[in-house]
Amino acid sequence: MRRFFILGLLLLFLSACAAPEPGFSFAPAEEDRLVIYTSHREAVYEPIIKEFEERTGVWVQVETGGSGDLLARVEAEAEAPVCDLFFGGGVDSLQSRAALFEPYVSPLQNQLQPAFRCDSGTWTAFSSLPVVLIYNPVLIRANPPDSWQSLLDPAWRGKIAFASPTVSGSSYTTLASLLQVLPEDDQALLEAFVENLDGRILDSSTQVADAVAGGSCYIGAIPEDIALQAIANGRDVALLGPKEGTCTLPDGMAVVTGCPHGDNARRFIDFALSEDVQRYLMDHCSRRSVRADLRQEEEGRFLAFDSFDYDAVWAGEQRETLLAQWRALCGEEGGGI
Amino acid sequence: MRKWIRGSFRNRIFAVMLLTALVPLLLGGALTLRLQVERIESGLTQQAERQLDALQAALDEVCASCADIAGDLSGSTVVHSALHRGGGGSRTLYQVLYRTSEPLRDYARFDVADSGGHCRYTTGAALPTQALDTRWGLLPAAGEAESLVFRSETGGGLSAAQAVRGHAGELLGYVIASVDQAGFVKLFGGRYDATCEVLLLDRQWRMIYYSRPAQAGETVGALRAQLLSGAPLTGADGDYRFHAARHDPTGFTLILQQPRTFTGRVMDTIYVVSIFVGTLCVLLSLLSTWLLSRYLSQPVHQLDQAMGQVEQGRFDVRLETGREDELGRLAGSFNRMTEEYRANLERSVRRQRELNETKLRMMQAQLNPHFLYNTLDTVKWLGVAHHAPQVAELATNLAAVLRSAISGDEIITLDRELDLIERYLAIQSIRFEDRFTCEIDVPERFRSCLVPKLALQPLVENAILHGVADLEEGYIKLTAQEEEGDLLLTVSDNGPGIPQDILEAVNSPEKRPPGGHLGLFNVDSIIRLHYGPRYGLSVLPGEGSRVRLRLPIRREEALPC
Repeated sequence: MRRFFILGLLLLFLSACAAPEPGFSFAPAEEDRLVIYTSHREAVYEPIIKEFEERTGVWVQVETGGSGDLLARVEAEAEAPVCDLFFGGGVDSLQSRAALFEPYVSPLQNQLQPAFRCDSGTWTAFSSLPVVLIYNPVLIRANPPDSWQSLLDPAWRGKIAFASPTVSGSSYTTLASLLQVLPEDDQALLEAFVENLDGRILDSSTQVADAVAGGSCYIGAIPEDIALQAIANGRDVALLGPKEGTCTLPDGMAVVTGCPHGDNARRFIDFALSEDVQRYLMDHCSRRSVRADLRQEEEGRFLAFDSFDYDAVWAGEQRETLLAQWRALCGEEGGGI
Repeated sequence: MRKWIRGSFRNRIFAVMLLTALVPLLLGGALTLRLQVERIESGLTQQAERQLDALQAALDEVCASCADIAGDLSGSTVVHSALHRGGGGSRTLYQVLYRTSEPLRDYARFDVADSGGHCRYTTGAALPTQALDTRWGLLPAAGEAESLVFRSETGGGLSAAQAVRGHAGELLGYVIASVDQAGFVKLFGGRYDATCEVLLLDRQWRMIYYSRPAQAGETVGALRAQLLSGAPLTGADGDYRFHAARHDPTGFTLILQQPRTFTGRVMDTIYVVSIFVGTLCVLLSLLSTWLLSRYLSQPVHQLDQAMGQVEQGRFDVRLETGREDELGRLAGSFNRMTEEYRANLERSVRRQRELNETKLRMMQAQLNPHFLYNTLDTVKWLGVAHHAPQVAELATNLAAVLRSAISGDEIITLDRELDLIERYLAIQSIRFEDRFTCEIDVPERFRSCLVPKLALQPLVENAILHGVADLEEGYIKLTAQEEEGDLLLTVSDNGPGIPQDILEAVNSPEKRPPGGHLGLFNVDSIIRLHYGPRYGLSVLPGEGSRVRLRLPIRREEALPC
């Protein structure tokens, strides 16, 4: 009995030693939260998410990274999803992971250009991002590269800026476009392209623009918006569409299966398709809208490119194989999926 | 542990004293430390709350004034007509704008924009060239609301807008107020401690103002993540406390960042010092209680040991304490008691010895020794006369043995005892017709040693009667040697040995004679009576019988009695 008394006294004393931290009652309720994994640049996602928060009162937690890495995370968390909405990445990469996502067809889907609708609802297109060729107009004054074939031209060997497709989703789209457009055998094309890169592999499309503008590379292939932003910032970059046609594959959004805040994720998709956001994308982010009603306006602002019929299903199916081949050729280890 | 404590009086005292010294000391110390920390922290919290109240009051005032000014301007007919007319440059409007915004112009800039978002009038230095987006951000929110709408600006700063509507409710333009970082510095300046920092966050905890702009991204990001994950607000590094208060009119959150007095490092130092002092206290209490318990328990321990010695028969034990308290008196009583006991014992031994001597004298007196001597002498001469030398020798030896046995000396030299034994052996060898031999191996130096009379003879007799009597070739050996200053006399023979029960009885501490072999027990008792319990007789194991006497080495000049 006495022993218990002493023990109790000691416990009381120890518990008094633990300093209580002031509690805060400011945290939002569970239904006012949303977790977004995004591969977009901060300049793109930040204003949109801020506006979404202001309009809805929902608190958004953002995790950023390359779309390959983020998809791997979503897959790893499939048992207990953390992410509600996957925001960014070509719809081909989303399609290739269809099992991770919960179908959602937004009521605004019928306002989209028909090419950007996904009837199964696995993904929802967010913006259209044609891949363009860029070059440094100071270094290249005549005969700029104007075709996919140029990327295989030994004249540019070691002077091509290219982001690793294992990290950058848009880079994978570029690679898949190259393979689809050019008639040769895929394996031979891939080998020739890697050979022509001569080991210069960057981490993101923004770095590609920087490398070309900075003169360390002469040409590159990146999404249009990054090129336009670089030009708007007065950097030495010029862009043109490849003459074989470019891929106008949109980047998308998808609700993660079994996510904790699915309603808010769907709310966000509706918001992202709204005219306000789509117009904001055009006005401030140099991105092409996926809405049909903004098409007209768009034509005045962006260059018209020929497009070819990009086979997103093939790109989705071939992703693993191609990336494995890529890694084997470049000697990259692991990294993305 | 418990056994250790219960095993000794001293350990008990030690354990109890240690407990009573240490527990209050350590408990008190730790409690004081905790209370002190608590007191300082709660003082800091109160301070922070006061400062937060002051900051909130300032923010309240600005927001309320902003709302008043925006309300006045949006209701002003001058503003209405100027916006109706379109374009800019209305002096009347500027007058109204400056007059109305007067109280807040130190902190905030006021603009009037038309319905397309083009800014037409401003209290700032220059009119912004770019039109505000009427579909995005602040203006559409203001268009939907009745009153002033507050929004944070990306990268910091606060904007508020109110729509200006015509009589028919048509949108004419907007009144826009904005407070930039400099405005907040003026507004909050002097209302909080210089050591603290202030954060103003919007409804979703994006930064509006931070008095330490360089760390804005890091701190606000960390706070927002901590809030969402439910963790305590500690900022990017843990060296600050964050006190938050919600500003209800706007839904914004004011946060006071207060440096921790007890940062991890300070607490570590305090703990290290406390542990050091605590250890010192423990060591000191250990030492002092150890000494004290020894002081208290030593007399008891001494008494206990002395008692044990007395039980083992040492009556010369004395306790020297030098104390005058109860324990000292107890020691005195013990000393007197053992002294008394010892004297008593000596008295009774002496009495016993006197009694024995008296008995012996009485026995000796029963026969007239001279009559015996004369008779034996006659036998001797008769033997000589009748040519029977064995008879003469027998009579001579018997007379010598008899003389020695009844002489008055209790203690004789070993030499004399051996002489007696030789004569005894001569008699016995005639009787046993030389069927045994006896070897006496006693170094010359022991021959002067004193031994009780007839101490060895019974052993030799025993060896003959119980050992070699039935053998054809008996052998008896008598040796002397020295061990630890004692004289050891051993008589061994090659006979059947001493029966087991006798052997055990002789070697057992009680020495109770089992019936036969009384001679051995008598010798043992005589030696013990003379020299004390250390000495006496023992039977050694081995072939035949080996009986040993242990005696102190004493010589003639040191004869005690």
